[in-house]
Amino acid sequence: MPEKRFDFEAIVKILLRNNVDFIVVGGICAALHGSDTPTQDMDIVQSRDPDNLKRLENALSELGAYYREHTNKRLIPKAERMTTGGHHLLNTAFGPVDVLGAIANQRDYPALLPHTIEIELEEDVRFRTLDLSTLILTKQETGREKDRRMLPILLRIQEEIERR
Amino acid sequence: MENTKDRPEEQEPHPSGEEPLLPTYSEDGEDLTLIRLMLSLTPIERLRTVQRRANSIQRLRNARKTV
Repeated sequence: MPEKRFDFEAIVKILLRNNVDFIVVGGICAALHGSDTPTQDMDIVQSRDPDNLKRLENALSELGAYYREHTNKRLIPKAERMTTGGHHLLNTAFGPVDVLGAIANQRDYPALLPHTIEIELEEDVRFRTLDLSTLILTKQETGREKDRRMLPILLRIQEEIERR
Repeated sequence: MENTKDRPEEQEPHPSGEEPLLPTYSEDGEDLTLIRLMLSLTPIERLRTVQRRANSIQRLRNARKTV
């Protein structure tokens, strides 16, 4: 399947059409909160409920997902392999998607869900993303260079919102 | 080379002739005007702005490969 330009909205709509429970994290979450740093992929934390994983597998199949680390073969993501906190780095017809069983200090879907906000993409098309405080916390916990680089702008956004 | 944009001379008058009401830069050099610009948009408008930039960057990267 030929790769198209990164299209976040197409990915979200296919996940929602398949009734997948997920939380948008990472660079897209930062952009939703006001970061102007371009991002080339979409990170989600999936609910690891078995029924949800089956729905996720179907959505990923519709997206034409495959593991992007394996350049010599096309491995397709399967529900039974997404039951842990592991990270599945995928490419899809609409751009890279990372399916993350847990982030930062092993924070998984049930742990993160109370710290999310709802975003309305369009009428009756809604998804959840981390609230700003939790996004900052996970970036601090992860401690990778790329996460640390994003922290100053997230902290300034938080200050700017508090100043209003 | 020193990036003077990150370190505005506080003694100089503002180039517009009028001092802004809010600071332009944070102490760590973040451009607060860009942050305010993004915060003036809805979350989806912010995301579409970033997505357009990401796609523009990708187009530029692809273009460079053909030279």
